[in-house]
Amino acid sequence: MHISQSKRWQWTTRRRVTTPWQWVAAAALGTLLAPVAFSEPQVTERIEPDKITLGEAAQLTIAASGTDTPAITPPMVAGLEFVAVGQSQQVESINGVTHSSTTIIYQVIPRQAGVFTIPGMTAGTQPLVLTVSPGGGRNAAPSGGSALSGGSGSGGAPNAGSGTPLPPGSTRVAADGSAFVRLRIAKHELYVGEAIPVDIQVGTRDGVVASLNGPPVLNGDAFTLEKLSSQPDRSQQIIDGKPFTVFTWHSALAAVKPGALSLTMETPLTVRIRQAMRPGGGLFGNAGLDDIFNDPAFQNFFGASTEKEITVASPPTEFTVLELPVRDRPADFSGAVGHFTVSSELSDDKAAAGDPITLRLHVSGSGNFDRVNTRMLHDVEHWKTYAPTAKFQPDDEIGYHGEKTFEQPIIATDPGTQSVPPLEFSWFDPVTGHYAQARTSPLTVAITPAAPDNAPAQATAPSGTPPVTAPAVTASATASAGASGTPQGDALRPDHVERGRGSDTLMPHYYQPAYVALPSALLIAFSGAWFWVRRGEQRARDTAAGRRGETSLQAEPHLETMEKASVLGDAALFFRSARTALQKHLASKWRLAPDRISLDEVDARLGTGSVVARVFQLADEAAYSGLTLSAADFQRWQQLIRRQLSEHEAHS
Amino acid sequence: MRSARLIAFVSLAALGSWGYAAHAAEQQSQAHPGYSAATLYNLGNSYARSGQPALAVLNYERARVLAPLDPDIQANLRQVRESSGLPAESGSWLSRHSRIANPDTLYWLGVLGLGVAGASLLARRLTKVPPSSSHGVFAARGVVGSRDVNSGRGDLGTRRFFGARRVLGAVAALGFVAVALAVWDSAATASLLTQSVVMHPSPASASPIQGAEPLFTVPPAEVVSVRDEHAEFALIRDSQDREGWVARGNLTPIIPEAPTSIIPDAPRSVIPAAPR
Repeated sequence: MHISQSKRWQWTTRRRVTTPWQWVAAAALGTLLAPVAFSEPQVTERIEPDKITLGEAAQLTIAASGTDTPAITPPMVAGLEFVAVGQSQQVESINGVTHSSTTIIYQVIPRQAGVFTIPGMTAGTQPLVLTVSPGGGRNAAPSGGSALSGGSGSGGAPNAGSGTPLPPGSTRVAADGSAFVRLRIAKHELYVGEAIPVDIQVGTRDGVVASLNGPPVLNGDAFTLEKLSSQPDRSQQIIDGKPFTVFTWHSALAAVKPGALSLTMETPLTVRIRQAMRPGGGLFGNAGLDDIFNDPAFQNFFGASTEKEITVASPPTEFTVLELPVRDRPADFSGAVGHFTVSSELSDDKAAAGDPITLRLHVSGSGNFDRVNTRMLHDVEHWKTYAPTAKFQPDDEIGYHGEKTFEQPIIATDPGTQSVPPLEFSWFDPVTGHYAQARTSPLTVAITPAAPDNAPAQATAPSGTPPVTAPAVTASATASAGASGTPQGDALRPDHVERGRGSDTLMPHYYQPAYVALPSALLIAFSGAWFWVRRGEQRARDTAAGRRGETSLQAEPHLETMEKASVLGDAALFFRSARTALQKHLASKWRLAPDRISLDEVDARLGTGSVVARVFQLADEAAYSGLTLSAADFQRWQQLIRRQLSEHEAHS
Repeated sequence: MRSARLIAFVSLAALGSWGYAAHAAEQQSQAHPGYSAATLYNLGNSYARSGQPALAVLNYERARVLAPLDPDIQANLRQVRESSGLPAESGSWLSRHSRIANPDTLYWLGVLGLGVAGASLLARRLTKVPPSSSHGVFAARGVVGSRDVNSGRGDLGTRRFFGARRVLGAVAALGFVAVALAVWDSAATASLLTQSVVMHPSPASASPIQGAEPLFTVPPAEVVSVRDEHAEFALIRDSQDREGWVARGNLTPIIPEAPTSIIPDAPRSVIPAAPR
């Protein structure tokens, strides 16, 4: 059932092969423990406090010491539950005799009021008496601040309902036995948007789990989970005979789409993996001593374990999610699902025209309060209305029960007994499966004529003018009314004429993500365009360079012909080849067809005295007049033409 | 002709940005009627006349967010503060006059400036004459004329080309000025996000616990900056640079968070104390 029994079993059933060194160690221990070898076992029990109220817990401490300490087992008392919360063990060796003392602490949780007698563990131990008086309740915190709940496999559910049983299979301990995650939910059929309380429990095996690395996380996109309670409840439970520390988070679950859905929760944690002594190869080769050194506390102290991060998931929980009916849906339905009651009030039953008074609507009950919304008064004759603000006061830590109060500043525009029309609120009741609507009673308020300095305010709000919705006036509007300050009118500058409509929020665009996206997108677009242009330029440069290389290749055969002509002394062929080479080169550079590179074009672009123009002239002369050149002239013209080509290439 | 096209291109980009801005603003105002400087100012006046200075100051401060230079708001705010026994507003002249216009207007001006500056710089880049020769959208043959650009010989086309580039540079500079104004205003507005108005006399203590010894009492209508929060308490600094923890329920932020919404809050994660 618990650790001490397990150790005892290990002690008596393990077999060991004795080595000479172990004989020596055993002899030494025997010498040390000799004086206490035959001392009688002593058992003491005490309970603190011995008087509690129902909902609280007492602490039972059982200590056994001696050379042959008996196994400590929790007492069996009808109406009381015993949960082990702590254990300590001490072993002393004196003159070869082993003396051990074991202390186990139990939390005693009463299930009913009355006087309970807890029998002693041994015949010589006096029974203990625990008096449990009625009172408290399920929310009463047990003494010591530890919210103990439930017994083996049935932890309490202060949120989801203590009467909610855990279905079979809801507790599935991880394969290594270190932890489990489970859900406690009151119902498995719900409507879209309906909030239902849920308890999320993470059980961690004492001594095995080193740390929880985060809160439970919801798997899947069909549900939303409200904010988890900041501090989980903590309790000790025995599950399958092993002690677990159970952390319980309270929250509310809501489905976002209809259908047959399932969900799981998972949580990351770090487990401690023990490095057990080699069988038969312990320090002493003695079962008893090895058990001591294999004790988790001993190993944790001396670091004989490694840590590993794992994720433990809960078994899938099935839900049937129904769609909200479209039929009979009220026009002002805002998505509220639950059970609500409404009431309204005014901050004052009399006021001057132009003075603001606060209209309050209280919506209380249970349900998804984040969807509880109303426009309050709007388009009402004789009243100038402003946008309401809402304030939610939860009655529990998950915000399932509570009251949402809407406050709306309203200003009467006309004196006399004015009536504030009734307010309406609609919601969907998941129990009846129908929409419900509540209407408050009309309120009356006596409006006295405005002071002279209030005239501008009224002037800006003529009857029939659409109401100007605007400011989120603080919730404490009426609390400070008349409490401080004195009315001051004459010193104030007059009201402004209200034109047009304002924005929905005072939060500047700079700090709204949707608006931050616009300049960011512009920056990205311009950066991209800049990059694109630069890339285009680079590509154009590469293309031009390639074209120049191509031009050189095209001109090369003509240059070779030119060289051959110089060897043959054929001036006509020489200058014709030179002109063709230059034409192809300049055509590429000037983006013209080669046949359009005429002497006139060359004169226009390069001037009449250029070398290229001279080559073009000589080519014509040689073709028609039979020009003759010496070998030296051929050589010089060849150099000049090649230099022209290379110079133009360099410039381009 | 080409330079005219260039200027038309930049103008279209600017008009496009401005059109988008106007369209978004129009849509917003239609979908969510609400805050306007005049409405808040008038409400502040109403509260001031009915002897509720904290609410008056709150609404004046909110009006001043939207119209920081409005003399009526400044005057009435000063009047209410004086009549409530609050000291004159502290801070340097620069800090008190750091804001010049409605932040949303400046935001859109900044967006417009960014669009104009970006388009102008891009256009300048496109008209850049690379050292090699004539390529690019508005390259030499069109804008500069038929003369060789590399020769540097100036003609009418060349002068117009370089003139257009100068215009683009000036437009880009103006755009950057608008962006700088928006950035400046966003920095100046940031301080408003932490400011709250004290609604009731609030004892400020040294620690955020119930029953702690109060160090001083913050009067109602005082504007304080919230520096930290813990449970139901907020660490505030008042106009005299005094710091203390006050109940959060006594404070109302000048710039409230998003208005009441039917969108549920996103689940928040809470990491429990690890059982080490």
